Amino acid sequence: MWPFAAGTNSLRWVPSLSPFVAASAAIAARAVPVAAGLEIIVGVAAMLRRRVFCRWVCPTGSCLEGANWLGCRLKRNPGRWPSMGRWIVLLTLGGTCLGYPFLLWLDPLALLAGVFTTFGLAAVFALTILWPGAWCGRICPLGAFQDLLHAGFAPVRSLFVAKRDGNAEAGLSRRVVLGAAVGAGSAGILCFAQRNDTPAIRPPNARTGPHFLGLCTRCGNCARVCPTGVIEHDVGGHGPASLLTPVLSFRNGYCREDCTRCTEVCPSGAIRLLRVQDKAHVRIGLPRVDEEICLLSDDRECSECARWCPYGAIRYVFSETLYCLTVQIDPQKCNGCGACEAACPTKPRKAIVVLPA
Amino acid sequence: MNGPMNRRDCLKVLGLSGLATGLGSSRSQAQNVGESSGFQSSVLASHKVQSGWANATLVNGKVIQPQRELTILDSTDVLVVGGGPAGVVAAIAAQRAGANVTLVERYGHLGGLWTGGLVLLVLGHIVQGGKQVCQGIGEEIMGRLDKLDGAIIDRRSGVNPTVDAEAVKYVMVEMIEEAGVKTFLHCWGVDAIVNDNAVQGVVFESKSGRQAILAKIVIDATGDGDVFASAGAEFEHRSHNVGLVYRIGNLDRIDKDKAGDSPAPKRIGAHTPVPGVNWVNLRGPEVDGLDVATLTRMEMSHRKYIWSHIQKTRQTPGYEQVYLMETAPQLGVRITRVLQGLSTVSLDDLKAGTKFPDVVGVGGSESGNHGPWQIPYGALVPTKVENVLAAGRCISAEIRMADLVRLIPNCFVTGHAAGAAAAVAVQDGRRPRDVDVAKVQKILTEQGAYLG
Repeated sequence: MWPFAAGTNSLRWVPSLSPFVAASAAIAARAVPVAAGLEIIVGVAAMLRRRVFCRWVCPTGSCLEGANWLGCRLKRNPGRWPSMGRWIVLLTLGGTCLGYPFLLWLDPLALLAGVFTTFGLAAVFALTILWPGAWCGRICPLGAFQDLLHAGFAPVRSLFVAKRDGNAEAGLSRRVVLGAAVGAGSAGILCFAQRNDTPAIRPPNARTGPHFLGLCTRCGNCARVCPTGVIEHDVGGHGPASLLTPVLSFRNGYCREDCTRCTEVCPSGAIRLLRVQDKAHVRIGLPRVDEEICLLSDDRECSECARWCPYGAIRYVFSETLYCLTVQIDPQKCNGCGACEAACPTKPRKAIVVLPA
Repeated sequence: MNGPMNRRDCLKVLGLSGLATGLGSSRSQAQNVGESSGFQSSVLASHKVQSGWANATLVNGKVIQPQRELTILDSTDVLVVGGGPAGVVAAIAAQRAGANVTLVERYGHLGGLWTGGLVLLVLGHIVQGGKQVCQGIGEEIMGRLDKLDGAIIDRRSGVNPTVDAEAVKYVMVEMIEEAGVKTFLHCWGVDAIVNDNAVQGVVFESKSGRQAILAKIVIDATGDGDVFASAGAEFEHRSHNVGLVYRIGNLDRIDKDKAGDSPAPKRIGAHTPVPGVNWVNLRGPEVDGLDVATLTRMEMSHRKYIWSHIQKTRQTPGYEQVYLMETAPQLGVRITRVLQGLSTVSLDDLKAGTKFPDVVGVGGSESGNHGPWQIPYGALVPTKVENVLAAGRCISAEIRMADLVRLIPNCFVTGHAAGAAAAVAVQDGRRPRDVDVAKVQKILTEQGAYLG
């Protein structure tokens, strides 16, 4: 799939380059993530030379070159944009501290790789044509994050580099405190509002609850690589903090027993790496049967859920009292893959539905 | 009569036997064999006490069946045992392909569980997207039902139709006779005749006694694999739900005002071509469908349940007039013996959409939620025994595929394949395993079958 036809791994690498994503993930996981390791190189480079990544590597920036050129040719006189990138960074990292990475999805690499590829990139393109340089210079949180790294590193760098930048921001610390406090405060409110929302079914081996919400980049890598298309972006079904995170829906497919691709492409560790041989033992959810609408309660000839269960976890047991078959699920064998739900023929509601574990 | 006989029983037996002796002697004295009596009944033969008749005897506490010669009732090219959807289609296919065919059926009608088991809903002729994969002779049967009044409903594309059992019995007789298939009803195949690991025919039990039919190829469409099992083929013995289907009447007399908004009672089944009559399925417990004590227990238990269930339904306001019209003559045995074939139908192949070079049919879906699946010829051919082919629910299929293989249209498809293959085997004088599958595929295509 454009622009990464080379395979699923390229997807993982793109957001993994971002030290911004890595920093957010490190805060959320309370640990330094062992991702590709490349983001550290990018971060160190940013400390040494201002925005070196933007100039030489950033794929989003490279894509925008054309738009920049076009915007300049149009000789528009763009109004001055306030420098927002820094605030985005502070808001996000502050939010991450209390469990919700506000605008992490604005990371240009997550944007390029993820859910907004089509719309997001188009929007950034349009923005750049109208206001050349606005995205890269004023909005891009990764650029701003590099600026912060560069500025923060100034005292150390002065030991090696003769000439001082003179660019280190005065009052940076005040901004840090203010931005992070706003982010953390809002995230706290958001997570408080979130606490009673319906839990969602997450991809296999995903971290649970608020931990997941804090880590997830909302980049959409997992949804994109899913061969059965069961990973969807939450559009508000599970509370505000869950917006755009991956949730599983088994109406038309299930989480295949032989696939762990989503766990391989997650840049932040929100979905931890999983081996195929371990998949059967990692719980995604647990199905529940609505006896009222199950065809077996009406003595109909149906054997779909048991047939399609990859783990042989479903049996039909005859009840002497009801004088019909009932669906029996073995929770030891079932991992909640949703094959039963996908196969269930009842309409409009499915008689067997996977619920969050 | 269980338990010790009391005096009254004893007197009854003595009295009846005396009466019978008296009648028998006076009748045989009054009339000669073959002479018309002028009544509704004539003497066909008069049996005296016979000598040399070899009964089974009790020897040291064991019942011993003596060796005896059997009458050969018929000698044919292809013998089809079992007159259900698979057997009937197999017989017609083989006869149309040029073989002489004899069909035997244990009940007094054709159609097997479709008619005798009142499995009136025909599931499995379509796949995802509504494409109909069951074509050929099976579809011809359905097409004939279309032309009859009140024989079939819901014949729209993508929908599973429901038939009338009597119409199916009628259509099958019509088609079997038109094809010229020699048929024996009321014949229960009990033993395969095997020489050098090759089936030569089958022994039957009927009111005419134990007789044999010789054949070059035998198609086992018994559903239970009776023939290949007795011939020594490898098979799996499985349990499944054993139920009893029934029909209820007066559903057009439900008083809707009285019923009000209260939910309709459960298990009142689905509509049939007969107005006001529903057929009701019953799954029953998972048991061994070959064990006669179990079958008896199922039959009795189900009857008690059905009766009480209908009484309960009649107590629902508005449903007072609903009544139990009939229970199916045949118990709903789903799966018993399943052949171990040269190849096996598997769910993984269905998922992968595997194409087989020796495809002889395409199977459909129970609820239209998956694609077509090819049936390889090898699934009909036993691994060891020669000259016998399986058709219907007992073909070689893994356990998760059993519920698809046993669907009526899929039985049409495997029956059609077995019939065509048997005809080719007879023509070429080859064993089923050596049959030129390309020829079989050609015949099937000519006969309208769909091979994907």
